[in-house]
Amino acid sequence: MEKEKVLIKGNYAIAQAAVNAGCQCYFGYPITPQTEIGEYLSGKMQGLGRGYVCAESELAAINMVMGAVSTGVKAMTSSSSCAVALMQEALSYAASDELPVVLVNVMRTGPGLGYIYPAQGDYNQAVYGGGNGDYKIIVLAPSTVQECVDLTYRAFYLAQKYRNPVILLADGLLGQMMEPASFGDYPYPEVDVSSWALTGAKGREARKIYSVAPDEKKQIQHIYDLHKKFEVISQNETSYEEFNVDDADYILTAFGSMTRNIKAAMNVLREKGLKIGAFRPITLSPFPYTRINELATKKKDFIVVEMNMGQMFKDVKYAINGKSNVELVNRPCGEWLSVEEIVSSVEKIIGRKQYAASI
Amino acid sequence: METNFILAGFGGQGILLAGTILANAFMLEGKNVTWYPCYGAEMRGGTVNCEIVVSDTEVSSVHKQDTDYALVLNQQSFDKFVKRVKAGGTIISNSTLVADSRPRNDINYIFAPMTELANNLGTSKVTNIVSLGVLASVCNIVSKDYLAKGIEKVLNEKKKDLIPLNIKALNAIEKECLV
Repeated sequence: MEKEKVLIKGNYAIAQAAVNAGCQCYFGYPITPQTEIGEYLSGKMQGLGRGYVCAESELAAINMVMGAVSTGVKAMTSSSSCAVALMQEALSYAASDELPVVLVNVMRTGPGLGYIYPAQGDYNQAVYGGGNGDYKIIVLAPSTVQECVDLTYRAFYLAQKYRNPVILLADGLLGQMMEPASFGDYPYPEVDVSSWALTGAKGREARKIYSVAPDEKKQIQHIYDLHKKFEVISQNETSYEEFNVDDADYILTAFGSMTRNIKAAMNVLREKGLKIGAFRPITLSPFPYTRINELATKKKDFIVVEMNMGQMFKDVKYAINGKSNVELVNRPCGEWLSVEEIVSSVEKIIGRKQYAASI
Repeated sequence: METNFILAGFGGQGILLAGTILANAFMLEGKNVTWYPCYGAEMRGGTVNCEIVVSDTEVSSVHKQDTDYALVLNQQSFDKFVKRVKAGGTIISNSTLVADSRPRNDINYIFAPMTELANNLGTSKVTNIVSLGVLASVCNIVSKDYLAKGIEKVLNEKKKDLIPLNIKALNAIEKECLV
């Protein structure tokens, strides 16, 4: 695979990365702003002798993915916000059945059918889920087209490594924009699925994958096991990026493509002499609670910047646990908060605090 | 340093392709660049635009409220984007389709008969590439050499035979001819 950079749309980058990762089957239903993923794969998969189905609905698509991954192959679907809502029941089943489903959500605006332009309103949907029961999904949030590639690779690897559904949470801005990216080879080892995959029982004992335990004790144990697994995932896989946090009084925090804007705002504010850092979770689930708590213990205040009504804000607040302060700078949807708007909001917050401290 | 461009015109004028070529040119030059289109329920014959941000360091926001350069190929785009040019910025217009008006005195105006120059080459389809040539003549961070490489890269896959015509279109305007 060439290391050369190509100028490519986020959606196409995700699709090509899925091909490189060895995704054998794609099932999907078109919806703006992620339709290019299915479009790209419709031509590509056929040429490679792999599976592509334009399903009759999103519900069908995610259930087809569950069927495919049960056999041990890598498979994925992609969709956007209101259509990912339709898949929530299946995600709960996939988490319970420990199926390595990969789901790409290129977020648009909600609630309801909403609007086709980018937003970040599906943080709760992805991280906390809309399915029933105590289950957890791994959620990865890219901020650049290069990361659309890198985190798609990681999504396929983590899904199989932990037998857990993974959501790649991108947004319409990332899906539609072009940026130079390089692909390289799929950087992870192949996971051995032979101990559980349904590959035909000839010569071995039959296996079943199902999510009903007609036995109280078994069900209790199953939930404990799922959560023990997620603790291991939290320990091994939690990832984040931080910039200038050591001497910072305030730490700007964002996820996904908003990360670019808070980094630029941090640089502007630093030039003005303010001690500002930036922090960005790469895994939204598992969330970097421990690191945020450490920073809060050092009396660093947080300013969460997001394109929703304060969804990640709650997780940051929970992580801080009263050890420092947290403020929200947000807009529900529409034009992304600009660097200038973030800078002026931060200056207002700091000004207000200095005034409060002076009286 | 970060510089941003808005390219705008009718759907069908090749705005997104011109933007793709410009972004490729910056990439080939080793710069950081992003390309972001307006997308949505657009109709054929409606307006289309894309934003390109180029930077020595990582590109900050991809979609900005104002722009250093606006390259507009029709009147509607002129009317819409003349307001979004930064003070001291430049609007470059296709004078074949845009009337010479200067509603603000804090920006620079360049007019060039892009569609006419394209027609002189035999087809109005290369108006978009003529416009990139005009942009390169006006804006010193855009290089005609790299634009030519961008054209080769983008057209190489399916439309190789059109490369010579497009290179001609890129060089259709001489700097001295601009008003």
